[in-house]
Amino acid sequence: MKRRKTNDLKLERIDDVQSYMETRVGVGTSFDVGFREVIILKKKVQLYYLNGLNDTPVVVELLKKLISINDEESNQDELPLIVKNRLVHQQVEEIDEIGKAVTQLLSGLILIFVDGYEQTFVVDVRSYPGRGPEEPDTERVVRGSRDGYTENIIENTGLTRRRVRDERLRNEIFQVGDRSKTDVCISYIQDVADPGLVEMLKNEIQAIDTTGLSMADKTLEEYLVHQGFNPFPLVRYTERPDVASNHLFEGHILVMVDTSPSMIITPTTFFHHVQHAEEYRQSPVIGSFIRWIRFLGIFVSVFLLPFWYILSNQPELLPEGLEFIGPSDEGSIPLFAQIIIADIGIEFLRMAAIHTPTPLATAMGLIAAVLIGDIAITVGLFTAEVILYVAAATIGSYATPSYELSIANKLTRVLLILLAATLGVKGFVVGITIYLLALTKTSSLNTPYFWPFMPFNFRAMLQILFRFSVPASQSRPSVVHPKSIKRQS
Amino acid sequence: MELKQPIHLKKEKPSAIIWKTVSTGFFGGILWSLVGVFFAFFNFTVVSPGSFVISSWLHGEWTDGWLAEMIAVLVLGVLSILIALLYLLVLKKLQGILPGLLFGFGLWGIVFGLILPLCPNMKPLLELDSDTIVTTLCLYLLYGVFIGFTISYDHLDRQQNKK
Repeated sequence: MKRRKTNDLKLERIDDVQSYMETRVGVGTSFDVGFREVIILKKKVQLYYLNGLNDTPVVVELLKKLISINDEESNQDELPLIVKNRLVHQQVEEIDEIGKAVTQLLSGLILIFVDGYEQTFVVDVRSYPGRGPEEPDTERVVRGSRDGYTENIIENTGLTRRRVRDERLRNEIFQVGDRSKTDVCISYIQDVADPGLVEMLKNEIQAIDTTGLSMADKTLEEYLVHQGFNPFPLVRYTERPDVASNHLFEGHILVMVDTSPSMIITPTTFFHHVQHAEEYRQSPVIGSFIRWIRFLGIFVSVFLLPFWYILSNQPELLPEGLEFIGPSDEGSIPLFAQIIIADIGIEFLRMAAIHTPTPLATAMGLIAAVLIGDIAITVGLFTAEVILYVAAATIGSYATPSYELSIANKLTRVLLILLAATLGVKGFVVGITIYLLALTKTSSLNTPYFWPFMPFNFRAMLQILFRFSVPASQSRPSVVHPKSIKRQS
Repeated sequence: MELKQPIHLKKEKPSAIIWKTVSTGFFGGILWSLVGVFFAFFNFTVVSPGSFVISSWLHGEWTDGWLAEMIAVLVLGVLSILIALLYLLVLKKLQGILPGLLFGFGLWGIVFGLILPLCPNMKPLLELDSDTIVTTLCLYLLYGVFIGFTISYDHLDRQQNKK
């Protein structure tokens, strides 16, 4: 879509401006676009504002000052200068193009036109409706800061700036979307981040041609990483300013989108999705321990169920001493069908839990636990072991810090079970191979996704297997191609 | 604290990539043979690192036990260093994971086609069950990609840093 041609409108003719505002912006039709005309030194002065996004006390204060010009000044020719001088606000701008001015108006700034003056004064009197910083639900820690990003991009850059007071931190803002004009901000530390990647992201963002970013960060992500049929999350999200600033120091680049509290961290690898801020709130040994348990959980969520299925289907595979594995009584439904049904049932519960209102959640939990779990076994629909292993796999996926990764892993698990059911051991092994090779082949913004496992990097792998103390990890991960690999001391 | 200039990526010495390759080869060998031991324990394959490296030409009580497996894993780790260095010499310029896959497949062919018949205590290839063949082949493919992809990525990375 082409930008509307509006440059020819002369701002000094205030009646033209008024009719433009009435026909194009809907002053008088849309009730949220406000209009006020005052006469100052016998000249018309018009104010346009958006009543939903303005801070009324500030606007009133501006008006008071403007009106008082009538009592204190008399030089009519100098009116624009006097008006500018009397706009008591730190953010006053002059714009000579009506299109840009309207965009500002619709962002919540106030426009002041003076008859006979070819510029408009734009004063930032915005106050966006929104919540204060709260601890994000998905990234809770036991101790540590509890502020989280909000839906307001200005507050979000502020929260980052609180932790990175470096003069080399850059916050570059763009507007994306023909109609939504959503603010998108790229943050990076100039002498650390890979300049090639910054350039590439900027180009990608500026090339986006769309009506609006209604799903904010997610829509933007789809334009950036070209996901295709790949189920794995190609960028990491965080709502924690401390996680975000840590990644900035490492040379990552943040992309924030107005109206979303989730920051996009790029470049991302698979192993970014299996770490959690809580590990860094504990001592290194405890942190490593938590991390291993978490890895075990993730591992279990993918491989345990198909592996158990293989072993119970072909008990002759079991080594000495482990013969007890596998159900003693298979029940009337084939094991494979039981697993799939139970897994889908848990998926029902998960989805229902997202949008069940809190008063009904207890009832849902009760139905899930007693009716489905217990009675299904009593009736003979499921064997108890199926429930056990499906539950273990599910808890494993809940232990995955990245929600997106846990769902992608769940999909993998179902595929592995299907392969194991049709082709037995061969299917299972081939399935694992394809899973690992697919992860290896994936790349996110030219970064190998499965780094540092494949391609292997010993030192980086150690950093992932063990949580080293911060003074001991003095190098930045080489995969982000930082300008300097050593952190400054 | 003294003020330091940011240290820009130093030009890597030629020995750095060799050491990287050595570690890749060693850990790749250890890792994938451990997976092999695990699969052999659950009878996915009758050929385990231990049965191949140790009991194929040695007799004795201990050659079937865990000790033999662990020694075999170490031996394979060391052998794998040589294989990785060979890859570095010959194939490092090939990009992507396909060369690694073909390399793994070739390696499997050599081991199971040429070396296996030389071992007195092993069944010939055609008598192995299909599970064994598929499992070992998959392991060799993963091993090949592990070695090949890593070495070619390191090589490419180094080329780009030189510019």
